[in-house]
Amino acid sequence: MKLYCLSGHPTLPCNVLKFKSTTIMLDCGLDTTSVLNFLPLPLVHSPRLSKLPGWISKDGTINLEKELKDCAGRVFVDSQPEFCLPERELLDLSTIDVILISNYHCMMALPYITEHTGFTGTVYATEPTLQIGRLLMEEVVNFMERVPKAQSATCWKNKEIQRMLPGPLKDAVDVWTWKRCYSMQEVNSALSKVQLVGYSQKVELFGAVQVSPLSSGYSLGSSNWIIQSHHEKVSYVSGSSLLTTHPQPMDQSSLKNSDVLILTGLTQMPTANPDGMLGEFCSNLAMTIRAGGNVLVPCYSSGVIYDLLECLYQFIESASLGTTPFYFISPVANSSLEFSQIFAEWLCHNKQTKVYLPEPPFPHAELIQTNKLKHYPSIHGDFSSEFRQPCVVFTGHPSLRFGDVVHFMELWGKSSLNTIIFTEPDFSYLDALAPYQPLAMKCVYCPIDTRLNFHQVSKLLKEVQPLHVVCPEQYTQPPLTQSHRSDLMLELQPPPMPYRRCSVLNLPFRRRYERVYILPELANSLVPSEIKPGVSVATVSAVVHSKDNKHTLQHGITEVKVEETADGHILHLQAEDTLIQLEEDGTHIVCDNNEPLRTTLRDLVLRFLQKL
Amino acid sequence: MDRECVSLLPRVCEVLAASGSSLPDDTSLEKLLDWFTGLTKAGTSLLESCPCLLEFISTVVHNTALDPSILSFTLRLTGFVAVTEVAFKVLQESSVLDLVFNLQHWQEAGLWEDPCIRIGWIQGLRTMMQHPKALSFFVQADFLQPLLQLQTDKSLFVASAANQMLAHVLLSCQSVSSVGSNDVDEEGEDVGRSGGSIADLEYSAVTVETNQDYAAVVTAISECLKKSLVPRENTQLHQSLQILKLLALLLAQTRPPLWEKLLQMVADSVDELLVAGYSQLILPLMDVILAAYSSCDVNRRAPDQRVSRLLSFMLNIRKPADLIQAAAAFLRRGLHDLVHTAQSARVLLLPLDIITGLNLLTTTDEQRFLMMEQLKNKTSCISLICVCLTNTPQMTLMAADCLPCPPVLIVTAVLSLLKLCSGDSSSPSSSSSGCREVSRNVIGSSKVQKCALDALTALSGSPGVEVKLAEVFTLLVQCLDNPDSDPTVLQKSFQALVQWMSVCSDLSSITDQHRQDLLQVVRKRSCDIRWEVRDSTVEFLGRLAGVRVIQTTAEEASDASVAVLGGCCFTTPLLRAALQDTESYVRASAISALAQTLAASWQQGAALTQEQTEIVNQLLEVLSWDTEGFARRAVVRYFIAWLSSMSSHSCVQSPASSSLLMPSVRSVLSRGSADLDWEVKVHTLELAELLLDEAFSGQRGYTKGNPTQTHPYAVIPNTLHTRTHNEEDVVGVLNSLVQWGVVSALLSGLVDCDRPVALRACRLLITLREVVCPLSLGALDATAAMATVARVTCELPGCGWAREIRKMLVMKAKDANAEGGVSGGEVVNCDDCGEAGQEAASVGGQTPCVSVCEVLRSLDLDERLDVLTRSSDHVHNSPLSLLQDILTASSARSQPDTQQEVIADCY
Repeated sequence: MKLYCLSGHPTLPCNVLKFKSTTIMLDCGLDTTSVLNFLPLPLVHSPRLSKLPGWISKDGTINLEKELKDCAGRVFVDSQPEFCLPERELLDLSTIDVILISNYHCMMALPYITEHTGFTGTVYATEPTLQIGRLLMEEVVNFMERVPKAQSATCWKNKEIQRMLPGPLKDAVDVWTWKRCYSMQEVNSALSKVQLVGYSQKVELFGAVQVSPLSSGYSLGSSNWIIQSHHEKVSYVSGSSLLTTHPQPMDQSSLKNSDVLILTGLTQMPTANPDGMLGEFCSNLAMTIRAGGNVLVPCYSSGVIYDLLECLYQFIESASLGTTPFYFISPVANSSLEFSQIFAEWLCHNKQTKVYLPEPPFPHAELIQTNKLKHYPSIHGDFSSEFRQPCVVFTGHPSLRFGDVVHFMELWGKSSLNTIIFTEPDFSYLDALAPYQPLAMKCVYCPIDTRLNFHQVSKLLKEVQPLHVVCPEQYTQPPLTQSHRSDLMLELQPPPMPYRRCSVLNLPFRRRYERVYILPELANSLVPSEIKPGVSVATVSAVVHSKDNKHTLQHGITEVKVEETADGHILHLQAEDTLIQLEEDGTHIVCDNNEPLRTTLRDLVLRFLQKL
Repeated sequence: MDRECVSLLPRVCEVLAASGSSLPDDTSLEKLLDWFTGLTKAGTSLLESCPCLLEFISTVVHNTALDPSILSFTLRLTGFVAVTEVAFKVLQESSVLDLVFNLQHWQEAGLWEDPCIRIGWIQGLRTMMQHPKALSFFVQADFLQPLLQLQTDKSLFVASAANQMLAHVLLSCQSVSSVGSNDVDEEGEDVGRSGGSIADLEYSAVTVETNQDYAAVVTAISECLKKSLVPRENTQLHQSLQILKLLALLLAQTRPPLWEKLLQMVADSVDELLVAGYSQLILPLMDVILAAYSSCDVNRRAPDQRVSRLLSFMLNIRKPADLIQAAAAFLRRGLHDLVHTAQSARVLLLPLDIITGLNLLTTTDEQRFLMMEQLKNKTSCISLICVCLTNTPQMTLMAADCLPCPPVLIVTAVLSLLKLCSGDSSSPSSSSSGCREVSRNVIGSSKVQKCALDALTALSGSPGVEVKLAEVFTLLVQCLDNPDSDPTVLQKSFQALVQWMSVCSDLSSITDQHRQDLLQVVRKRSCDIRWEVRDSTVEFLGRLAGVRVIQTTAEEASDASVAVLGGCCFTTPLLRAALQDTESYVRASAISALAQTLAASWQQGAALTQEQTEIVNQLLEVLSWDTEGFARRAVVRYFIAWLSSMSSHSCVQSPASSSLLMPSVRSVLSRGSADLDWEVKVHTLELAELLLDEAFSGQRGYTKGNPTQTHPYAVIPNTLHTRTHNEEDVVGVLNSLVQWGVVSALLSGLVDCDRPVALRACRLLITLREVVCPLSLGALDATAAMATVARVTCELPGCGWAREIRKMLVMKAKDANAEGGVSGGEVVNCDDCGEAGQEAASVGGQTPCVSVCEVLRSLDLDERLDVLTRSSDHVHNSPLSLLQDILTASSARSQPDTQQEVIADCY
């Protein structure tokens, strides 16, 4: 059993498990932090960004004026942003049988894997994962295609040149693997390979293993996966949460008795408690509005935003924000808000029960009804005429490199009355803000990451008791900036097996058993004899028949009489009334009218003769 | 004793003796006993005044089929009856006593199993045991053994009562013996504490023989203590625990010969117990040792060698958890023992030392190692640290030579612990993995945070810690800023900040950066999602305004709010925003905080700002429209604060204030007295009282506050007579009181259905009457003397309270007319006013006026006050009512047709 690790990002994993004759890819997360090295894509012409000076090395020997721009003391690539893909050279991606997706954030690299690699397998995901994942992909494609860039910068990626560049471009790794965003066509093609599954549904893979998704409590339709054969069980835990937010709670008990537990997707903010952050978010928002400023919340169009809106729904009255407009701007804003209301079976119990009442599960419906929350596909169109300040705007992309957020950064960045509140934990807020410096607007960092923290995961592992744990190497040591916090790492006995990008791990357990079925007729003919109380033994001679990874013992040839002749031997298969003459110069099979048997015997004899 | 009660008692006794189950509720017997206790304490002999009790007791004691609660009651009652020697003799002669306390009697009846019988038996004996005869009875009946057995009774109450009883017996024996042997009784106080009056014993009562008996009792008890102190097995820990409790009681109260004897008897066993090291027994053991130790301390004897040795042993136990408990127990006693105090301090500081790595003290490696191992366990680490923190403030107040390090270092340690809690920094000694393991246990523990913040608040008073102000300030602001701090932690941080600033009045070490950080955090917390946090923030703003500080040596003193937050320009907008809060507590706190913030400007008589006018309008709106009482109460208090700060500095009528204050006060009085919340009304009356005080201060006959509480012969200070009794003055003042609405507020309060409101209003009206038209002047005198004052009238509109007042006036007038003659003239004489009142009462519609004087004199205020002063349930709680209840309940039971369920009135 082997594990190939194609991504080094602990919360955007992409691993391949080879287990009994199957090759299973676990998630295909797309590391988008690479876009921080690129210039923002403004929706409206920005004089500031269009007049940036090009970069020339100090000695003047390297001139990349067209590709690199100097902005706010840092060098950025002036090209369409590119993403860092999972490793594609470690194994042949066309050999992958299935891809299991655990949540919509971990499927963004799907088109890069399923298209143009020869992939012919199936992708398994739950329905909300597929639908919301599609929205997120659609949104990114839309953001990119709205602001097309003619040129594609490649010169700077030359190893010799990159070495000479200032940081952080100099330190960027695997830049040659970075790719531009996929097209909508590729997205559709990739998603057409998805087969929907429900929680606890068992899916047979070629009869060899069974896979089954379990609720992971992190987002709508998010799942952990159990991959098991008759005698082995591998659990894949990715992006799970024990907090009471909108999704169905995590199913912990089914993870028990695993031989190997692959643990990914813990919180990226172990020191930021989500409740505290939510409080910070609300108080900073209220403070800004009271002072007459605007609030910008760069966020994904699905996920935590539902909880933010729900929290604000309760907070608006107590903070006297009743008259402040809330805008949600995204090409998929409408679909996202509406989708969330129809996935009732994937919601927490509390929200599920609302389905039977004349009220929608999420209170954002009421915010929309009362005109407190308005959503628009883009800043163009209706929004520009209805826009009122001071207001709160939720919009993407959280990297601040593309999407409508770029426009608001340009619009509000210069006033100290305004505040930008970061709630998504995926990007360093300082790096995200780098091309907008100097910035007068207030910045507040309240990353809300509801995924398991180290304390919770230790408790979970104590409970489910896996024999071995495999996890990203980041989890086996305290964070670099807080080396004294030994509570922010996994301490297990035996110690977890760490992996990094491009690792190939031999998982530390051997398969020792295989299930074999005995046909009833054969079983009937067995004569067990008791060798000690409760234990009986019988000799079996039968034929093993293997098909679709299932093994069956069937009746075979049981009575053989061997006669010696002068030239060799004669085997008499009495029940079948067949003779096999084996002589020095020839072999004859005498079989009465049973051509299939004759052919089988012929092949068998030939195989043995060859071995001799 | 009430004659009526005496007459009812025989019937009640009959009812009880017949069947106890018909009691009105299960507290009746307790109430009856309370009544008897009161009578006994007042010196009444129960047997003399209620001879029926003897018969009751003898009947009941023979009828074992009765309800056990009646039997238990009888046992206890017997104790009360036999409390005097005479009654005791009577009971003994009628052979009732022997039967009542005869154990066999109860055991044979199968009743001893019932704990209420056992406790009745103990308590009866205990009450009775106030004289030597009772003691002899106890000794001769050989009750000691059963009592010792009861000490480990499975009922906790019985066991505890038995313990108390044993102590009482021993102390009684001690007193009797000391009288017998002519010892000088130096410690009557101790005997008194044991509840006895044995010191009054007659010498002749004690014979040599009884003396020997007593000695035997003492020996038996001491032997038992010695024998049962050390548990043979773990299951006997309960017995040891009981013995230790008894021992602690005894050692604290006995005197030298017995004290010595006791100590000598048990010293070895205590030693043995100490070595055995049962953790559950550590605190009771420490209690015993400390009881012995303090008894030396109190009596100014040199500490006993054995006790000192035991104490030293306790403060050096090897189990860290026990050690900390022992040290904390010692420190709490506050004994004058430098050596052990210093040792306790070292023990208690050790966890703090280890976790922060600050080298607060030097200890042996072994102690440190043991403590460190204990601290590695999260649960015990948190509890040890909390015990340690709880005791730190007391430690820093100790003499310097007792402390292993200066208080400043302890403050540093607490600060560094707080940093660890928020996961901000590692301790300096975290290089060792042990320390890292320990400090990990406190990360994120809000329990430790709360304890540490309490300690930090208390430490502000320690000598020499002012230098830490800036550091404390920084850390507290960080705590306040931390998104994960829970509401209590935030509240405690705010409190600590105020406390430190009030103690360290010199704020020169606070930099502008500090101020900016605090401003930011206060602004953020005032918008917090949790109302508790918004409430603490608003409270903080108010309290800060009350703290006087000096910013730099050159500057004048100002309040802390001005010094660190920039004063009103920052605070007031935040507080005004909080007036709109959805949570009423926050609104109420904001109003109080506004009052505190503006207090300074009121006192300085500063000119009113536009903002203040707006605030007043906002507050009046709150008073009219707010749905919650808290906010409305706060509004009235705001005006009380404003008015009192004005009146203590300038005259109410000063133009600056009267332009806004007096009209607002008028609205507050009218709105407040019509409020639905009784506390708002009481506060409104307080405001009215302030106006009265202000108006009549110095006026003859005016006594500030409660008129009924002043003694009739009290000397009135001369200063009060300085202002001459000028009728014109009185008229003017009374007129303005009417105009401000004070009189209406008082009258409406008088007829209020809430007793506290009516009571207060009534007292104030009496005060007013005594100044304006005292009843002491005869009716005719009064008419003549106050002809001018009587012309002052007030309106009585046709609804609500005014109608009530009118009814009362009409009734009074009718009564007066019926009596006829002189007294009738009293009301009618007041020309048109009285008639107008009558007319209005019958016709209604228009708003008639009545003379204030007439109203005040006709309302029978004194009678009303008398009724109001008594609590509403004074009738229901009297013994008479209790006895009647019992009789009624029994008759209801005997006539099932008329049976009604009696709803129990809880005690």
